[in-house]
Amino acid sequence: MNKDNIDNYTPDSDDTLSKATSGEYKYGFSSDIDTDIIPAGLNEDVVRLISQKKGEPEWLLDFRLKAFRHWLTLEPPTWAHLDIPEIDFQAISYYAAPRKKEGPKSLDEVDPALIDTFNRLGIPIEEQKALSGMAVDAVMDSVSVKTTHRERLAEMGIIFCSFSEAVKEYPDLVRKYLGKVVSYRDNFYAALNSAVFSDGSFVYIPKGVRCPMELSTYFRINASGTGQFERTLIVADDESYVSYLEGCTAPMRDENQLHAAIVEIIVEERAEVKYSTVQNWYAGDAQGRGGVYNFVTKRGLCRGDYSKLSWTQVETGSAITWKYPSCILAGEGSVGEFYSVAVTNNRQQADTGTKMIHTGSNTRSTIVSKGISAGHSENSYRGLVKVAKNASGVRNYTQCDSLLLSDTCGAHTFPVIDVANASAVVEHEATTSKISEQQIFYCNQRGIPTEEAVALIVNGYAKEVMNKLPMEFAVEAQKLLSITLEGSVG
Amino acid sequence: MMTPAKAFDQYIDLCGQFGAPGASPLLQEINGLGRSMLAEAAKAYRPDPAEIDTLRPDAMFATDYGINLMRVGMPVDPAATFRCGVPNLGSLLAIVANDSFHPTEALLRNMPEGLTVCSLNKVPAGLQHVASQVMRETLEGGGVAEALNAAFLADGVFIHAAAGVKVDKVIQIVNISAPTVPMLSLRRVVIVAEEGASLRVLLCDHSQTAATPHLNSQLVSVRVAENAAVELYDIEEDTPATNRHWTLDARQQSHSSLTVNSTCLHGGLSANRYNINVEGDYAETSLSGLAICGGEQTAANTVTLTHSGKHCTSRQLFKNALFDNSRGGFGGKIIVRPGAMFTDAEQTNRNLLADDNARMTAAPQLEIYCDEVKCSHGATTGQLDERALFYMQTRGIPAAEARTMLTQAFMVDVIDNISFEVLRQRIHVLVEKRLTGAAASCDTCATACHTS
Amino acid sequence: MSQELLKVTDLRAGIEGKEILRGINLTIRPGEVHAIMGPNGSGKSTLSGVLAGDPRFTVTGGSATFHGVDLLSLSPEDRSHEGLFLSFQYPVEIPGVTMVNFMRAAINAKRKYFNQEPLSAGDFLKMMRQKRAVVELDNKLASRSVNEGFSGGEKKRNEIFQMAVLEPKLSILDETDSGLDIDALRIVAGGVNKLKTESNATIVITHYQRLLDYIKPDFVHILYKGRIVYSGGPELALELEEKGYDWIKQQVDNQ
Repeated sequence: MNKDNIDNYTPDSDDTLSKATSGEYKYGFSSDIDTDIIPAGLNEDVVRLISQKKGEPEWLLDFRLKAFRHWLTLEPPTWAHLDIPEIDFQAISYYAAPRKKEGPKSLDEVDPALIDTFNRLGIPIEEQKALSGMAVDAVMDSVSVKTTHRERLAEMGIIFCSFSEAVKEYPDLVRKYLGKVVSYRDNFYAALNSAVFSDGSFVYIPKGVRCPMELSTYFRINASGTGQFERTLIVADDESYVSYLEGCTAPMRDENQLHAAIVEIIVEERAEVKYSTVQNWYAGDAQGRGGVYNFVTKRGLCRGDYSKLSWTQVETGSAITWKYPSCILAGEGSVGEFYSVAVTNNRQQADTGTKMIHTGSNTRSTIVSKGISAGHSENSYRGLVKVAKNASGVRNYTQCDSLLLSDTCGAHTFPVIDVANASAVVEHEATTSKISEQQIFYCNQRGIPTEEAVALIVNGYAKEVMNKLPMEFAVEAQKLLSITLEGSVG
Repeated sequence: MMTPAKAFDQYIDLCGQFGAPGASPLLQEINGLGRSMLAEAAKAYRPDPAEIDTLRPDAMFATDYGINLMRVGMPVDPAATFRCGVPNLGSLLAIVANDSFHPTEALLRNMPEGLTVCSLNKVPAGLQHVASQVMRETLEGGGVAEALNAAFLADGVFIHAAAGVKVDKVIQIVNISAPTVPMLSLRRVVIVAEEGASLRVLLCDHSQTAATPHLNSQLVSVRVAENAAVELYDIEEDTPATNRHWTLDARQQSHSSLTVNSTCLHGGLSANRYNINVEGDYAETSLSGLAICGGEQTAANTVTLTHSGKHCTSRQLFKNALFDNSRGGFGGKIIVRPGAMFTDAEQTNRNLLADDNARMTAAPQLEIYCDEVKCSHGATTGQLDERALFYMQTRGIPAAEARTMLTQAFMVDVIDNISFEVLRQRIHVLVEKRLTGAAASCDTCATACHTS
Repeated sequence: MSQELLKVTDLRAGIEGKEILRGINLTIRPGEVHAIMGPNGSGKSTLSGVLAGDPRFTVTGGSATFHGVDLLSLSPEDRSHEGLFLSFQYPVEIPGVTMVNFMRAAINAKRKYFNQEPLSAGDFLKMMRQKRAVVELDNKLASRSVNEGFSGGEKKRNEIFQMAVLEPKLSILDETDSGLDIDALRIVAGGVNKLKTESNATIVITHYQRLLDYIKPDFVHILYKGRIVYSGGPELALELEEKGYDWIKQQVDNQ
């Protein structure tokens, strides 16, 4: 989809910056795949239907129903710095599965249109990824289509499969950990997800195993009028390691699509989990029509001593983003990290950040957040650093920087620091500034056009975070930053 | 569960039972306005989740305090009893006993030309409209605490410097709390510096009782006109029985300067809220404060600083040293409105946790809607520098003394924001005494508030 | 008075579980100047820190007796009162505490320790003036915060100034020459020499011979891997200057 930039051009503005910051959505194509959709609306029957379609055990249906009943008592949260249009939760279809007779046994059985979609995304589903040593679980409209590399991983005792399969094949593991980090009571969208989640990924890394490849899930919202409610559960047993990548795209549509996911991570003793996200859901057009509402609850529990959880996110998409990947640092000496780049353009709104809850002694956390706002967008960092009374020797360092690329956007910082232990050292720093005209001029003088200069400067600004991404992702994320901010990309 | 708004029901009921207490048409008008807004404001009230729960208006005002609606007089003439002797301060002194204004003879005798310091019930005819407008503005921009203050306000202080009048002497208002029954005192200070005028005002809060719980709701409005300058200093030397809900509503015009400095040494619950609107261009704002808390004390400074004008500079520096079971809070929000180009705003919050049961909550926030800005904030919570402590010990300074010296040093830059030399030195001494645990009275201040 | 001012016996100490000093033996008598030299990481600064009571280090064995007093049982401030002075390699900056307040607190704490009345303001200022002259310290420094914004040379002169004020029995100069130009070195060394008497002693910790041209040692010890591996007269320092530390390392490592 190589569209001219004319749609974004405002005749009264010759400001190169505004042109430079109005990128088009590259991944805005819609795959023509047969989809099995249940009618819009949400009630107990729908919850039962979802559970039944997936052939779930009784306990899981119970879990869903409890969540649903709790959800009925809740109101959508309003505390974020977001202007969220009222969402009609009865107008959404809560289940859409690519129609299939049986699960595909080989790549040949997968709908060619889907393969084509991934090819256009630059995410060839098997061969290329096999070369790059990656296992991909593609979640198309909530249902996991295919998981590659399973056999190889299985030899090492690693479980990497769709959530539905995990429910069938490893019910005890799922039951043991489901909802233990993000309770269905946690918040409005977590309750909704817990009631209607359709699929997602499940990862279990056994004791002492280092997962030899990056595990990757590519989420994609396809059907119109559907919400995507996937659920990811990652368990890293003692002294294990895994790096997990999550990429998200959605086709271009006029109406808004809801995405309310849950990611739960449990990290046991001396284990390490690295969770990287490149989120590029459709952001809506320059006038703010359409786009994905990305309301996600991500949280990890560093339960074991000396465990480590590292979140890295590059957020360039979605009309509205509401997500706070967090760490509960319970194990002695456990470490939490959050590295984030959030770019907003046009009418996008993002309210994102993290919570570092230090309940264990000698726990450490680092937060680095880089917000970049352009156009008429609103970009907020929201964070909580909490040191519990009995957690001694805690250290936290937070750095939040905001870069403004237009005089019509907003850049905000809302941290809360709550320290109840006298041996803690907690530091927070934040700065907000405009992109340096001198830097742009310097680039111009060396012959670099302004659009490129902006991309260059922004990438430099975000480098500290981009460096945390696995190699395969870093290149793509860098491209995404440029795409979001450049006008010349198609 | 009780909704937050319920906390204010008792006051809404009181409005129905008692008439407006203001003794002048001006205050009657404000009482009326406050009463008409109270129910709506209570309904619209939303607690700020970042605020310490015990300091939220719905918590502080929930207790059933008495209000002196019948205007029962104090048995003593405070102006005769209380003389402030901060040496060489040369202040123009007035006393507010619980909630009634009492000027001193010295104040009346030494009032410079162009300066008005009087009761809000006795505002000169020519300035009535000024006082009325300022109080209306504060009400319109405020919430339930402001409406509540207005609804039951019986007296207050009006300070006005006419255009071009520069007042050298410090105007000192000593607020004395000496309630014999649990009581809510409503205090109101209106400070206006007209074009080119300059004023220095010192507010001292003293409580004489540690036995009777009391709540002081003080609302301070400051208007700084073009080219005018206002310095506002605030010292709290209360007791654990004192709960203080203190709100500043300040507005600044072009080329004006506003300095606010607060020192909280003793008290029960202290909620200090600073709402500053910088409306003009090229204005300068300096906000700073320190709190040293011990025992069960809780103190928080919450700032909302809104930049609307261009080329303005603001600096904020707030520090807390927390001992025992005390709690400290800092909420700082800098808002840069669209068009507030070339704003240069800085905010710093530093906190010391000295004991295991102390707790600090900080929420430094930036809300920026303009790209030509330089804004930053930093917040740290930690301990004294262990290397400095060891260095001092090797020079023979005992650990406890070294800690006191370092804690005092930690506060130095806050105190140095006080441009008024005599007061600055007094605060240094008061802070040292507070840290060494010496009887915390303002020493040479003859009010001797703490001897009771 | 005991003939031994400081007697260190089999002193062992470390940091965070890692042993750095592995049995130090050292005896210092009044009037003596001892130089302790050694390659980087040999434990020189650990030794000075442990003697002064730096809480970062943990003593794991041995003893140190300071004119008959069990040094290791004292708090850092009491070691100071008893007459131990450490000139820091990196003097600590203390923002907000002025030099005047700092020194007055130090002097009066010492006087209190010996049950003396605090010094009057007049006497104190007179004393500060006198002692400043020892190291040609600018009087403007007195009103500044301790070491804050001082140049490298000013910091070291400030250390010797404090030494002059506190009149210690034993001074440990930890790498006092590091970061000094030749003029500052001469002033600092001159100050140390002026303060030298028959009854006090000095330990000079240094990496290079340079400082020893100005402060003449009676004894030179070489510290390596947490032990004093070699002791000798002033000529040892010259030998080291000429041959470096490698021959010592080889000798010790081959044993």
